[in-house]
Amino acid sequence: MGIPSGYTSAQVVQAVPTGINSALVLISSTTIGNAVSSVTVSNAFSSTYDNYKILISGGASSALGGLGLQLGATTTGYYWSVPRLVYGGAASNETGANGSSFTSVGGMNADGLGMNVDLIAPFLSKNTFYYSNQVANGTSSVAGGGGGFLNNTTSYTAFTVAPSSGTITGGTIRVYGYINS
Amino acid sequence: MMATHKVQIDDVVRDATPAEVAQIEARQAEAEAQAEAAEARAVARQAVLDRLGLTEQEAQLLLGS
Repeated sequence: MGIPSGYTSAQVVQAVPTGINSALVLISSTTIGNAVSSVTVSNAFSSTYDNYKILISGGASSALGGLGLQLGATTTGYYWSVPRLVYGGAASNETGANGSSFTSVGGMNADGLGMNVDLIAPFLSKNTFYYSNQVANGTSSVAGGGGGFLNNTTSYTAFTVAPSSGTITGGTIRVYGYINS
Repeated sequence: MMATHKVQIDDVVRDATPAEVAQIEARQAEAEAQAEAAEARAVARQAVLDRLGLTEQEAQLLLGS
């Protein structure tokens, strides 16, 4: 398989045998600044890929909580559910209907930020779907798999990551595209 | 006095505009409300378990999560 136009070999993160057209390609890598309340990544989505993966690692937050995700400038129409269990304990599910963002996508505390989310069709003029396992990194916190959709058919190029409370510092937001073919 | 927030657009960090501050605070209030609702549901669940005399582990055996 050749290297897609516009990319270097170092940006192909999954080696695949010749003839198999499947790979993730790094689109952008953004270092989170100091004590910010949100981070917007512009030009993340395009016609090149239908589907994307966003990973956040490293860094720290000023408070224990979740990391939310918003597409473009849209602040309504987010429908999501995250069935979760407290570590060693009971159910603690979260859900939102017609909310202002996907609220509980990642986790954060003073020892690190974590998000692993797949976005389906953010650039297409279709509903955008998200699939994620939220892992909150407090000893009495929660983990669980969830997802949702954005109830419009807007084509998006950008997204914003925001903490549920306080601020975030450091860490890296990486965006990958799933090759279509 | 309006709280100060910093926002980052790609690699540029700047002070949030008043509109952005309002949006940040609304988003964080919504997240807090959802967390409180989840906590309330957990408390209500525990109250039912207490009335039934079931432990959390017994409830999970019977009901799943």
